[in-house]
Amino acid sequence: MERLLRDELKAVNYMLPKKRKSLKELLNEEYPHVPLRDGSTHMFRRSELQRACNVLGEELSGNLFLPIILEMRAELKEVVAEVGDPVAIKLICRILDINEPEKPPLRLYPVHLRVLRREIGTLLMYAISFRRALGEEF
Amino acid sequence: MSQQTLRVTRPTKIELIRLKKRVKVAKRLHKVLKDRLIILTQELIMLMKDAVELRQKVCDKVQECESLLIKSTPLIDPSLMESYAHTRYGKVEGIIGSRVVAGVRVPLIEVRREGKPRESPEYPILLILTSRCFEELLDLTARLGEIEASITRLGAEVARVKRRVNALENVLIPRMENTIKFLEFKFEEREREDKTRMKKVKQILARKEGTVSAST
Repeated sequence: MERLLRDELKAVNYMLPKKRKSLKELLNEEYPHVPLRDGSTHMFRRSELQRACNVLGEELSGNLFLPIILEMRAELKEVVAEVGDPVAIKLICRILDINEPEKPPLRLYPVHLRVLRREIGTLLMYAISFRRALGEEF
Repeated sequence: MSQQTLRVTRPTKIELIRLKKRVKVAKRLHKVLKDRLIILTQELIMLMKDAVELRQKVCDKVQECESLLIKSTPLIDPSLMESYAHTRYGKVEGIIGSRVVAGVRVPLIEVRREGKPRESPEYPILLILTSRCFEELLDLTARLGEIEASITRLGAEVARVKRRVNALENVLIPRMENTIKFLEFKFEEREREDKTRMKKVKQILARKEGTVSAST
């Protein structure tokens, strides 16, 4: 049973990035991608990177690290995603045309996720927060 | 829900403690899987909506492209059409990669064109319009292919996770809980038996003591 649980946790979080790259760095690559923990790669769509750069401007594009990790919380019936990175919050708020929260994290609901997936789908990555789901010992 | 119990080799307290631990882990696993299932299902629904929309767009685009091609074929020389199609862009490449959505690897297909299209006035306007239309059709088809392949992979993962959630929810956890209940009943019964036995022993001892004191 423990092995099954460990495998299940691995399945989601094993595919998280080993190292994140800045938007500026990715735009200079021919095939923009980041390596993942399982040894494979996650590719980004160039048009989406360009869109993010246009929204944020040249100055902030060096501070945005991709992919943006959305911490998923399924405590309620509806899944809620949380973003903690201030630059990512800025980008998301500008794309969604909503006000920035006074204090991070920014909470995103399925309606927001649908828009974000269309605009910057490849720049996002989901992570399930197991500490919340399972308690502190995991 | 399963009413059966697990086969326990020996009904001991150690076994009960072990089972209680297993139930705890199983419930945690169930919660993780259920959360993941919600996320995957939501992603799948969004992709399906996109696929339906995109398929309609592709159908419309195919009709538009065909009507433009029918109009342009009698007017434009086929060799010019072919050479223009080859030289409209400096380089066109199809990039096939992969990305990860909620722990599932899905494909990423992109058509990348180098430079600006050659749209000088020396070419007939109908030819330019037709090639523009086919260009958009190619982009849409690539996107549709990507989405449909993603749906297949996500669907398979949803089915796998759902199977596990159902097995935990309806079979494994109830069986373990039933076994725990059974073991607890068994221990209670054993305790009661012990108590009555002790009472009996006490009575016998008291009786013996009574007869001894009476004889003295």
